Amino acid sequence: MRMVGAKVPRVEDRRILTGRGHYVDDLQLPRMLHAAFLRSPIAHGRVTHLDVEAARAAPGVHAVYTGADMRELSKPIRSPLSQGAVPEVYPLVTDTVRFVGDLVAMVVADSRYTAEDAVGMIDVEYADLPVVMDYEAALDPSVPPLFADLDSNVVHTATKESGDVDAAFAAADRIIEVTLSQHRIANVPIETRGLVADYDAGSGELTVHAATQSPQGLRLQLAQTLDQPMDRLRVLTQDVGGAFGLKGNIFREDFCVPIASRQLGRPVKWIEDRNEHLMASGHAREERIAARVAVTEAGDILGLTAALDLDMGAYPGMPFSAASFTGVIALLLPGPYKVRGYRCDTRVVATNKSTYVAYRGPWAMETFTRERLIDMVAAELGLDPAEVRRRNLLEGADEDRLITGPTVRGITTRECLDRALERIDYPAFRTEQEAARAEGRYLGIGMAAFIENAPGPKEMRPGGGFTGGESAKVRLEMDGALTVITAQSPHGQGHETTLAQLAADEMGVPFDSVRVVHGDTRLTPFNIIGTGGSRAATWGSGAVMVSTRKLREKVLAIAAGQLEIDPSDLQIVDGVVSPKGVPGKEIPLARLAGQMTLMPQTAPPGTDPNLMAEERFTGEETTGSGWSGGVHACIVEVDLGTGGVEIKRWVVVEDCGRIINPAIVDGQIRGGVAQGIGSVLYERIPYDSEGTFLAGTFMDYLLPTSAEIPPIEIVHIESPDDDGVGFRGVGEGGMIVAPATLTNAISDALAPFGARVTEQYLPPAEVLRLAGVVGAGAA
Amino acid sequence: MTGRTVRVTVNGVAYERSVEARRTLTDFIRDDLRLTGTHVGCEHGVCGACTVLLDGDAVRACLLLAVQVDGREIRTIEGLERDGQLHPLQEALRDCHSFQCGFCTPGFVMTAVALLEEGATPTEEELREELSGNLCRCTGYQSIVAGVSEAVRRVNGDGGGASGDARRVEEISR
Repeated sequence: MRMVGAKVPRVEDRRILTGRGHYVDDLQLPRMLHAAFLRSPIAHGRVTHLDVEAARAAPGVHAVYTGADMRELSKPIRSPLSQGAVPEVYPLVTDTVRFVGDLVAMVVADSRYTAEDAVGMIDVEYADLPVVMDYEAALDPSVPPLFADLDSNVVHTATKESGDVDAAFAAADRIIEVTLSQHRIANVPIETRGLVADYDAGSGELTVHAATQSPQGLRLQLAQTLDQPMDRLRVLTQDVGGAFGLKGNIFREDFCVPIASRQLGRPVKWIEDRNEHLMASGHAREERIAARVAVTEAGDILGLTAALDLDMGAYPGMPFSAASFTGVIALLLPGPYKVRGYRCDTRVVATNKSTYVAYRGPWAMETFTRERLIDMVAAELGLDPAEVRRRNLLEGADEDRLITGPTVRGITTRECLDRALERIDYPAFRTEQEAARAEGRYLGIGMAAFIENAPGPKEMRPGGGFTGGESAKVRLEMDGALTVITAQSPHGQGHETTLAQLAADEMGVPFDSVRVVHGDTRLTPFNIIGTGGSRAATWGSGAVMVSTRKLREKVLAIAAGQLEIDPSDLQIVDGVVSPKGVPGKEIPLARLAGQMTLMPQTAPPGTDPNLMAEERFTGEETTGSGWSGGVHACIVEVDLGTGGVEIKRWVVVEDCGRIINPAIVDGQIRGGVAQGIGSVLYERIPYDSEGTFLAGTFMDYLLPTSAEIPPIEIVHIESPDDDGVGFRGVGEGGMIVAPATLTNAISDALAPFGARVTEQYLPPAEVLRLAGVVGAGAA
Repeated sequence: MTGRTVRVTVNGVAYERSVEARRTLTDFIRDDLRLTGTHVGCEHGVCGACTVLLDGDAVRACLLLAVQVDGREIRTIEGLERDGQLHPLQEALRDCHSFQCGFCTPGFVMTAVALLEEGATPTEEELREELSGNLCRCTGYQSIVAGVSEAVRRVNGDGGGASGDARRVEEISR
């Protein structure tokens, strides 16, 4: 039975359902110590007094580190991938705190309880500095920069221009101008960050157990900053309790803990608590785009200009800084539409907030902006938003390109739109909406389209793209089992299942005899991203497929030599090699592998008895457009009494190519949509004007529950219909397109009030303000 | 600090330990008894990942101190399997692909066990209310609702019609 395409039960589930997972906080090593941090209570200030002697003297305390101590023990932190102006930063602050939660000192003690007690004994005083809490302050040249070694709080600017902008605007009947904004939110995995560092003074080896999306990325950064030889630096990651981009980042605590272990010669554990997490782990989004759209009365979108600002908070993200994502926003903003002239100016600014991190589709501002603009164009021109989309969508024809350059041959956006509207019965909804309005009930429909280069068309990724593709290792064991070592580092995506499905099919072995190994930098191939960016479906899968094919070739060559027939006349089924259609000459893989391992000298001439393979997948074998994408549509009812939004239906039509495991794909989509709903209706990271952080608990930062997230209906289009490497990434799409879909629906519901939805965050007070039920001040 | 003696039965095994009065029940279960299946997600009683059964009731272990469970009986996720056989709830959750990263899982599982043992047969809406005290960030909840509904059907029968909702959830997804 072919495994690819089947809803195979997950390999991971037995252990997670029985409480036998291995998360970093489960680790308890002999002689292990515990760390706790002193964090800044103010947004910006100089440390004028720091006395740690009482803490150092407390019973059970083994060490207290100040910024000055850490500066001696660390090199400046520099990401090999950073873009824009980068300040000199150390693991703890050396003189200035730059956001609430900034790291001032670290205590290492016998227990977390003792460590936190000692943090409370540290005497510290600050002298306030002026805070930079919004775009205007950050852009003001008279405001001193957060970092003395940078000349400005504008840390990166860029411009992307394609087509003829002036001609497009000159030909327009109308120009629509609007500024759209996306508020600050956060990834909030249920498992916080954490690590256990274990330095072995005997061998000089540093082992770091970490909740990370990228063990190899963390290892590379630790080696550089800690000056630790890479042959003596191993990162181990087993189960990780969610990440959504957050744990692909490397944080300053990640340096402090290993440094302490190396100094003390004992294992040191630090597990972030939820308050630390919400305050200081990193936040996502917070962007605004001032857009101008040039249109004809008939609804043709001729031109688009955009000025994007992104608030990256205080410190540059690692390994990817915010500037990596403004570039993607600029690339994808026009989307799969026929725009003729386009310009996007981007700026990244530093403020006294927690650091910007990637969060599931970090560039999603492009989809929110574009799809919101299309609805605004439709409203302004009195046209149907579905018709405006149909009129402007690219077909996916051979010559079709995004205005920013890449080809989109074979994209199915139009088909996704048609199927979504058919499924939700768009004409019937419009009738129902009209009848409801007559009764004073406000229903709305929203639709939005997205495409994502996961992996993108071939010309975008020569030689495997900026990561150079991906490798995997496969090994046939002596009992016929297949070990697959992946560079992916899954944290909920089920790769132990999906990669085993692929390897089982490629090799011709039972699914149960494939074991997928990940998360040990001694074994796994290098991949700086690990799992993230919707990469696994193509790159992780492709690497396993080409490596398994290579191993299968080796096995068939040996069997062909032994049976004296041509390899092409052989098959492998259920772990047994046999000549096609000739019974009685079977060679079980266990026998072949045992013989080649114990008596390699018996390998037939010209064959290789090393039953291992490691091939690099560069993407040549991919089929299809290279674009993941789709259209979501939802129906809401807005309650003008409470401002509450009820989601009555949510329809997804998506195309991520060939599906490896439908249950896993559906789970990725639904999880992403839930986060998008959370972003619009519930979640917001608030600071006051002094920079005080206002959402330190789950009573303040509201995550949606099972009572808020509706059933989500999913339709799959699998293009192209072949058996090549046509799997495309699906992890981010739901979160990319859901906020646009939902805000469009709420806007549609409030259309009778002339509501103009320009902000993504629409809690009840804002909904009531938009409907004119309450005054502007109430929101 | 002075230790206090706690005698407690966990998953049918009697333990006696000396603990600080301030030690949380989660730290006691995870670090002292080495039962790490119970997870800590927020330490302020909202996320529900630390849910265990205390004398049969689902409680937040992060909001209790170890000294408060002296003389009582606790069940954790590790106690559900019998002789290598999954509990019907665990089977149903696996069959419905209910979870992804697994971190919230122990809380949902123990909440649902309490529900099953009450003999409940909730509708989908009631079930969504019942489960709304547990946070999951991966799934969007639909697969969890489907899995618990399926377990209700297998263990407690059709009753209030949850299984119909589970089937509907499944049908509208294809």
